[in-house]
Amino acid sequence: MTSTNAIEVRGLIKTFGQTVALNGLDLIVPAGEVTGFLGPNGSGKSTTIRILLGLLRADAGQAVVLGGDPWSDAVRLHKDIAYVPGEVNLWPNLTGGQCIDILCRLSGPLDPARKATMIQRFDLDPTKKARTYSKGNRQKVALVAALASRAHLLILDEPTSGLDPIMEAAFTETIREMRSEGRSVLLSSHIFAEVERLADRVTIIREGVTVEAGTIAELRHLTRSTVTVTIDGDVQALAALPGVHDLQQTGEHVSFAVDDAMLPDVLAVVSTMQPRSLVANPPSLEELFLRHYGQELAAMNGAES
Amino acid sequence: MNATQTQMPVISGAAQHGAQDSLAATGTMMRFVARRNRLLLITWPVVIVGLFAYVSVYYRDLLDTQQALDDFASISNTASIKALTGLAAEPATLGGAVWTKIWMTSALLLAFAVVFLVTRTGRADEEAGRTELLRSRVLGLHACSVAAWTVIAGMCVVTGVGVSVASIVSGLDPVGSAVMGSLVLGASITGVGLVAIGVAAVAGQIAATPRAANATASAVVGIMYVLRLIGDLGSGTLTWASPVGWGQEMQPWGANRWWPLLFSLVLTVVLLGVALAIEARRDVGAGLLVARSGPAAAPARFASPLGLALHLQRNVIIGWTLTVVLAALMFGSVAPSMTELADDSAGSFAQVLGGTGVAALLSMLVTMTSLIVTVFAIQTTVTMRQDEASGIIERQLAGSVSRTRWVGQRLLIPAVGSAVLLLIAGALLGVGYASAGGDTDLTGSLMLAALTYWPAVMLLTGIAVLLFGWLPHFTIAGSWAILAAMWILVVSGDALNVPQAVLDAMPFTATPHQPLEPMAWTPVVLLALVGLGLLWAGVSRFARRDIQTD
Repeated sequence: MTSTNAIEVRGLIKTFGQTVALNGLDLIVPAGEVTGFLGPNGSGKSTTIRILLGLLRADAGQAVVLGGDPWSDAVRLHKDIAYVPGEVNLWPNLTGGQCIDILCRLSGPLDPARKATMIQRFDLDPTKKARTYSKGNRQKVALVAALASRAHLLILDEPTSGLDPIMEAAFTETIREMRSEGRSVLLSSHIFAEVERLADRVTIIREGVTVEAGTIAELRHLTRSTVTVTIDGDVQALAALPGVHDLQQTGEHVSFAVDDAMLPDVLAVVSTMQPRSLVANPPSLEELFLRHYGQELAAMNGAES
Repeated sequence: MNATQTQMPVISGAAQHGAQDSLAATGTMMRFVARRNRLLLITWPVVIVGLFAYVSVYYRDLLDTQQALDDFASISNTASIKALTGLAAEPATLGGAVWTKIWMTSALLLAFAVVFLVTRTGRADEEAGRTELLRSRVLGLHACSVAAWTVIAGMCVVTGVGVSVASIVSGLDPVGSAVMGSLVLGASITGVGLVAIGVAAVAGQIAATPRAANATASAVVGIMYVLRLIGDLGSGTLTWASPVGWGQEMQPWGANRWWPLLFSLVLTVVLLGVALAIEARRDVGAGLLVARSGPAAAPARFASPLGLALHLQRNVIIGWTLTVVLAALMFGSVAPSMTELADDSAGSFAQVLGGTGVAALLSMLVTMTSLIVTVFAIQTTVTMRQDEASGIIERQLAGSVSRTRWVGQRLLIPAVGSAVLLLIAGALLGVGYASAGGDTDLTGSLMLAALTYWPAVMLLTGIAVLLFGWLPHFTIAGSWAILAAMWILVVSGDALNVPQAVLDAMPFTATPHQPLEPMAWTPVVLLALVGLGLLWAGVSRFARRDIQTD
């Protein structure tokens, strides 16, 4: 195991009775980077995170968190870990501010200045009882508690699921700060845009198995960019080029998909056609994702029709 | 299709929002409540009727001569028995003997079952947000509550009828008389259950959480029991202040009165009316008390499992301390008058129990207060499972806190708390006793007598911890069931034909009953060792197992 990875997981297996939750999962979170952890509901994201926190014990496989065993070294490791659960439970009789203080002190010393900054940034009223908070506000309490800490590793399980767009922006800003301070982040999500915006690397899992892992750039090599150009004249030459798919023409607007590997060649041809405008969209994670679940989607559509 | 739709009223006016609207879909809800709780709704009547039938048949065979019945009556006619279970109107009849042995247990079992069911179908559903989901459909404001109460009232009636049938079949009614006694008997148990519905319904409207609702309603049932306890020992006035007392005063096979049942019915209707009135005014999910703002910061001690638990459980701790203080003072202060009665009545009291009236009665009162302390210990212990089930334990364990440290600190509350409460109980029993004219010297020895029960309390705590470690989903129900079962064995075990060796091994029986019996170290040390073993087995398992949320 190298010290350059905050989390290294290999071949993780966890079963609950007959249900296989994880079936040989691999996951790497390099130190100082933000790693996105993508998968549909029930694919095993939360189970993985709960194993990384020592709340569940893996049946087989290897998991190393900050150089230690997440089960047996839990107490030592948790001093350097901040966690935001997907579904935030708080002590109903305590105020948000009290909950934040408790959560911060459970892993390290409380930094009142940082707490105040985060409370202001996320526009939270810390004097309200947790019982009266909405889902979004409970989420904010957990986020503030995690982001106000000096933890080396942040484990965030769908942290923005209850937040409005303004708070998501505050979240994005904070995660970027964390990254620039050299901290490591595991960001589980099924919001593709969020992961795309924040993550350096992505691991995609499905039914407890890792199906794709790499940097966002690496994964894009597997996919197609969408290009829209405004061109006068005949575009049939374009359609015939290798790597070009789904060419559609509406008046002078032409759009098509290009295999990323063929993009330089195709653009060279386009430039000879003197386009008046050109927009190229990198493939979204959503497309990446759909490729992995395309079969299931097709099956579902087939079943419906 | 279209024609029907156009005939539907567009908007029902405010004037039309009457009783009918607020009860819309009550029938559907009744089926729903019955379906969702069918196991409990069947289990409780079966357990209570079964218990009653078993004791009836056993006593019919055991007490088969009038001489045996007379002997049993004279054994029963003690202050201790009067306090614990009440004494039948005609103790020297078969029905009277069975009544003395099992009526109180049956009635209280039904009352507590009703309390938990009312909370489970009311406040708990509301807290979980299920009521909100239901009320968003075409459902009257009171439909959920009324449906649940009706179904549970049905369970009370079924239980009462079952007890009557069991009584008739076992032949408890005297030869030559009709079955009136059996009918009054069944009705008296149903009556206690109905009042419990009213109590739990009001508690569920006022309390802010299901836990608080259960605690409040259970405490009220406890107060009813204590009121009649004092009444039965004294002039009987306080017995009439208690709905449990009304059930007793129906006196099956004695006066065979029906009219005390009317008190129960009226009180039930009044309490349910109050509950409905509150429900019509308050918001779903909220109690009567509005949540206030609080401090924006927490002291550092809240970061330790013990510090936070002490803060969160302070109301429970204060509540049980007050209960123990009041109960001990009350028990102590009625003891002198009770022993005078006992001394006057006959020498049989002292002979049967092998000691003086004072010592026997005080020993029994110490045992009773130790039971109250055990309830405190179990309640604070099962909060560990509640924290795990709700998932909130993960917030703390995701911090730098080990499992063993978490459990260890949490167990300090029942462990230290019950020792302190036992000492308080013993001291105040002595103080109450002295203030009412009893012997002053007893305070110190009663404190020690009460503290002797500490290993027994910790053994039951140990069982709860063992369940928490090995069968987490069964912790809460299991711990309470085992405590209830042990208590029933202690009170009625002989009537259930349980071998004496088993009864003697029960923690509360094995503990030397001071001041009646001398101190004996062997059972106390054994209980302590078994308790420690159970604690160790539970804690070490919890440290190794997965966290299991509900």
